[in-house]
Amino acid sequence: MHKSPSGSTLGPGGLDLTQAFFRPITNAAPPSPTKRQTKISVIGVGNVGMAIAQTILTQDLTDELVLIDNKADKLRGEMLDLQHAAAFLPRTKIYASVDYAVTAGSDLCIITAGARQNAGESRLNLLQRNLALFKSIVPPLARYSPQTVLLIVSNPVDVLTYLAWKLSGFPSNRVIGSGTNLDSSRFRFLIADHLDVNAQDVQAYIVGEHGDSSVALWSSISIGGVPVLSFLEKQQIAYEKETLENIHKAVIDSAYEVISLKGYTSWAIGYSVASLARSILRDQRKIHPVSVLAKGFYGISNEVFLSLPAQLGRGGVLGVTNVHLNEEELQRLRDSAKTILEVQTQLDL
Amino acid sequence: MQKSASSGVSLLGPGGLDLTHSFFTSILNSAPPSPTKRHNKVTVVGAGNVGMAVAQTILTQDLVDELVLVDALPDKLRGEMLDLQHAAAFLPRTKIHASTEYSVTAGSDLCIVTAGARQVSGESRLNLVQRNVSLFRSIIPPLVQHSPACVILVVSNPVDVLTYVAWKLSGFPANRVFGSGTNLDSSRFRFLIADHLDVNAHDVQAYIVGEHGDSSVALWSSISVGGVPVLSFLEKQEIAYERVTLEKIHKAVIESADEVIRLKGYTSWAIGYSVANLARSILRDQRKVHPVSVLAKGFHGIHGGEVFLSLPSQLGRGGVIGVTNIHLTPKEAQHLRDSATAILEVQNQLPI
Repeated sequence: MHKSPSGSTLGPGGLDLTQAFFRPITNAAPPSPTKRQTKISVIGVGNVGMAIAQTILTQDLTDELVLIDNKADKLRGEMLDLQHAAAFLPRTKIYASVDYAVTAGSDLCIITAGARQNAGESRLNLLQRNLALFKSIVPPLARYSPQTVLLIVSNPVDVLTYLAWKLSGFPSNRVIGSGTNLDSSRFRFLIADHLDVNAQDVQAYIVGEHGDSSVALWSSISIGGVPVLSFLEKQQIAYEKETLENIHKAVIDSAYEVISLKGYTSWAIGYSVASLARSILRDQRKIHPVSVLAKGFYGISNEVFLSLPAQLGRGGVLGVTNVHLNEEELQRLRDSAKTILEVQTQLDL
Repeated sequence: MQKSASSGVSLLGPGGLDLTHSFFTSILNSAPPSPTKRHNKVTVVGAGNVGMAVAQTILTQDLVDELVLVDALPDKLRGEMLDLQHAAAFLPRTKIHASTEYSVTAGSDLCIVTAGARQVSGESRLNLVQRNVSLFRSIIPPLVQHSPACVILVVSNPVDVLTYVAWKLSGFPANRVFGSGTNLDSSRFRFLIADHLDVNAHDVQAYIVGEHGDSSVALWSSISVGGVPVLSFLEKQEIAYERVTLEKIHKAVIESADEVIRLKGYTSWAIGYSVANLARSILRDQRKVHPVSVLAKGFHGIHGGEVFLSLPSQLGRGGVIGVTNIHLTPKEAQHLRDSATAILEVQNQLPI
């Protein structure tokens, strides 16, 4: 029986209740080994990693949750803080270690480890700081869980997802970046809030780089099935292109705004990643704008990861939806790919 | 239509891109929504680690229609509000507001107070309490003014004394003011026992009562696992145990909060779940028994004063429905009275 380290006074030498508290029935056998338990590993127990871990726990998405970090005290503190909630949650086994061996057999590995984005710092500036870190994280993860899906959250997410893919040796459908899943949620929130409608009735994708060169797909935004731009035309409501760009910019800026107000973001990215985890682990075949290998789509010929509306399930990325992009959106997407590539080609793998 | 004060509203709206004209058309002969429809509203005062863990857990568990955050720091507050609002696509629709002004809390069903001064190195407990009394004088009256029918749940420490303070300042009947008390200590206690036995923690009935602090009382005589009373089980099995071992286990529970604070700087997740659990029992009228800090005068021989401490209490929509008549051994009852005395020693020195 795998025991958590706290509680040394309950046990041999202390108060040992285990003798004869439960008795097996006759002719019982050990549990069938074919029964699989869902296991998720979260690498990095900072604000983002813990928001993700806690949301996954609250939403009862997994049987086993593993936390990894290189700061042993902080790690143990976070693990205990989650374990202490046992009376309020369904039973989930929670482990923590600085050693990757404990991640063995994970279905999903979520990497949040990395330097924090400072107010005003572009995501690309973070890159150098995270490069060396990934070289110590990805290979052991891949070794201990060769069948796992890797989900990268650390920024700049598109380049780091590419890096994780290269370092893991995995097929491309099993390496995903959280990408613009959250940007799209913020976008949907703004539109939904304006119309006083539920955000889930708003279909709106931001794709491309999770960053300044992201692309808002205005041509495919619909609310309750009503395509927005053609609605405006039919109603003869005039709008300016610049207004659309301002709204998109507000979405990009909103992350920086939260960082400048509270120092970092955590809750929204926690929900965003838990939503991706659910689609993968519960084989939901749901479409999310996430960072995938974009080579071959929309005229992109390089090995670059950026966000496209992708269908997710147990095996990771099942495919990319054939969303129609108008000429302008196509060009912006290719420009976004170029922006990412410019940085990526400077990487020393 | 009430709009969130989020960035981007000026770009979507009059002067910018206004989609609202005729996006939706009402049906004929419709009337505004009936005012009798229920609407759960919770206010969390204090947007620190504890307050935000409470708020986020309540949001994830879909317990409310409206969530309000109040704090004295406007930037931090706005940042936290936006961070929750940005998750709109992943959650059922919940209206989230934040303000340094209490008017936004009006009509709350439950007000959760997590705000509190942090103990400065070398500061006496009494001094800390006195600073928090001043803080509560600025929090409780406006809360009460805007939500005269609410239930107040105090989380700030020292929770027993501060729940008494909140009760006095509110003028509420005692069943509508309670403290989170030993709800979490009991969870930690249940976790330790459950982990040892490799059984689900929900199958472990175990209460820690009294002060949420050093003088808390572990009710060993009423611990049961799957309905099996533990101490009489040990006797029947002729398994010897030492009193001092039981005390060590209890002590480990008290110290586990300090351990988490030492390791990560503070506690947040467990208290978040604990308080969300209490919120659920109140808002959903669950009539569930929780060890929480209530007015204990008259119970188990406690007559020395109006003291709040944790007892197993049934919670529902109206707050505290009653206290269970749990049997205490003479020793446990004495420890409980000692705990009351310890709390009163501090409480009687307060200017309230």
